[in-house]
Amino acid sequence: MTTQESLISHDHAGPPTLSAGDHAPLPADAPPGAIFVARGLRYSYLDRFAALDGVDLDVMPGEMVALLGANGSGKSTLLKVLDGLVFPSEGTLHAFGHLVTEGNLEDEQYVEAFRSRVGFVFQNSDTQVFSPTVREEVAFGCLQLGLSAEETRQRVDDVLGMLGIADLADRAPFQLSGGQKKKVAIASVLVMNPEVLLFDEPTAALDPRSQQWLAELIVELNAAGKTIVYATHDLDVLEQIATRCVVFSEDHRILASGPPGAILDDTALLLSANLIHEHSHVHLREGQRVEHSHAHQRGGHHH
Amino acid sequence: MAEHTTTTTPSWLLSSNVGLCPCGCIGKRTKGSFVEKTLTGGSDLLRQVMFSDDLARRSGLLQRLDPRAKLGGMLLLLIGAGLAHHLETLLATYVVVLALAGASRVPLGFFLKRVWLFVPIFTLIVVLPATLSIVTHGDVVVELWSWHGQPQGLTAQGLRSAALVVSRVAVSISLVVLVTVTTPWNRLLAGLRGLGVPRMFILVIGMAYRYIFLLLDSVTDMYEARKARTMARVKHDRTARAFVGASAGALVGKANQLSEEVHQAMVARGYRGEARVLDTLRLRRADLVALAVAVLATALMLTADRMLGR
Repeated sequence: MTTQESLISHDHAGPPTLSAGDHAPLPADAPPGAIFVARGLRYSYLDRFAALDGVDLDVMPGEMVALLGANGSGKSTLLKVLDGLVFPSEGTLHAFGHLVTEGNLEDEQYVEAFRSRVGFVFQNSDTQVFSPTVREEVAFGCLQLGLSAEETRQRVDDVLGMLGIADLADRAPFQLSGGQKKKVAIASVLVMNPEVLLFDEPTAALDPRSQQWLAELIVELNAAGKTIVYATHDLDVLEQIATRCVVFSEDHRILASGPPGAILDDTALLLSANLIHEHSHVHLREGQRVEHSHAHQRGGHHH
Repeated sequence: MAEHTTTTTPSWLLSSNVGLCPCGCIGKRTKGSFVEKTLTGGSDLLRQVMFSDDLARRSGLLQRLDPRAKLGGMLLLLIGAGLAHHLETLLATYVVVLALAGASRVPLGFFLKRVWLFVPIFTLIVVLPATLSIVTHGDVVVELWSWHGQPQGLTAQGLRSAALVVSRVAVSISLVVLVTVTTPWNRLLAGLRGLGVPRMFILVIGMAYRYIFLLLDSVTDMYEARKARTMARVKHDRTARAFVGASAGALVGKANQLSEEVHQAMVARGYRGEARVLDTLRLRRADLVALAVAVLATALMLTADRMLGR
């Protein structure tokens, strides 16, 4: 078994199962075996600014789900709800068949099982890379979940090697470039070997080479059995790294869900979700759909 | 249906501004404000930290030692310097510290500047009154005034006490600076953790150090954004104070948001209030030898000091 295979194989026979105080039966319409089942999620910041307004979502094992939406449509909030970092004011979320609540996540056995299965890569890598060195940063998650120092060291070395950043191990975060910080943030989550990886705007603020590297990594992880859920408004990479797209409206609801091809063909839907502008065009480049915009002179529409 | 917004470009936006005077005349120059100086100081600090990190990774004598051995040795020598009563003992110790700096490939000029920049701040205000005859009685060597026919001024005893305090502070700061510039920050934190400093304390210091640079960048960005739009000659201090007030408020908000997100990032990876960290240090024979040498040096320093008499 190669390093990469060992990192991406499921090793969750050991960790405890999810079970804690708060219980609620799975919704009757929940598909069997779903990883996440969210029903009627509502969330607002400061009880005033709505972020989610009645969101239903199912995520099945092995899916690559792209949450599409304009800025402020609620994608990032949904990811935080899925990761048990914020809790909806209304609605329920089941993960791996168990209800996710603030109370349940205070249970040691439950939180350990949940955190080891779900990993979250934040949009701003600076918030996620907080340790004095890269090595300590990548080791953080494993140590919190109670892995031995020896196993943690081995995993850290493996994952740094896999992502090609072994030479950064002893560097301080403020000495890293944006792309390097993103790699460290991904390594710090990957080292915990989660079943589900949540990415918030993974390709934002990355140069084209790093964007492509990340897209390929996501595909590779998915091929190895990881379930991927990510928020984006970058339509260029969808057909490469999504098996399903979920489109958010600007009023924080889900407008549509379907395969990338069908979603990208629905111009009216993309326009109403503010994902494209009327001046956007779709071209085919080497068989891949590429959406982009042209500037137009006022009063004219020339192409 | 998507909402369509149309904008009309105002005419003034289409006309160009007055450029530089073609005759080449120049205006009146203005000095930079205290904000600019403070921010430049911040950038200098960042550069210094980078340089120190570079020094800490050189292959010198102290760089090869475990940080716990260095911290332990430093503590012993600090105690020794604190207990020494003779200028000669302290001067001899200082020479040894300079030799150690040389053996650790620390540029002497940089090292002396770093140390002697702090010495006046910490000691001058304290020791100056002690040199005067009204505080320390004794033989007046520099007469400054007379009181009822008695000459008053600097006394030999006062000067000697002042020299003792200054040299004690200089030796102590030199030891601390030497250890900090020859040890990468993360290893220094690991060393402190190894010596029993609570983990939470170390985590907080580490994060403060990590994010202070990020916030410094934010402040610099805010200032540069303001500077890029400042053209008129304004009274710097008043506007600078207003800028400092406004940006401090914005920065507090930013820091608060950052701390919330950092906490979420920690929770997302299993943090439950008690941080577990990777201990990467291993004491080798050379470290134990260094520690033994520090013990012997301290003992020698105190014995020699005692032999010199009170």
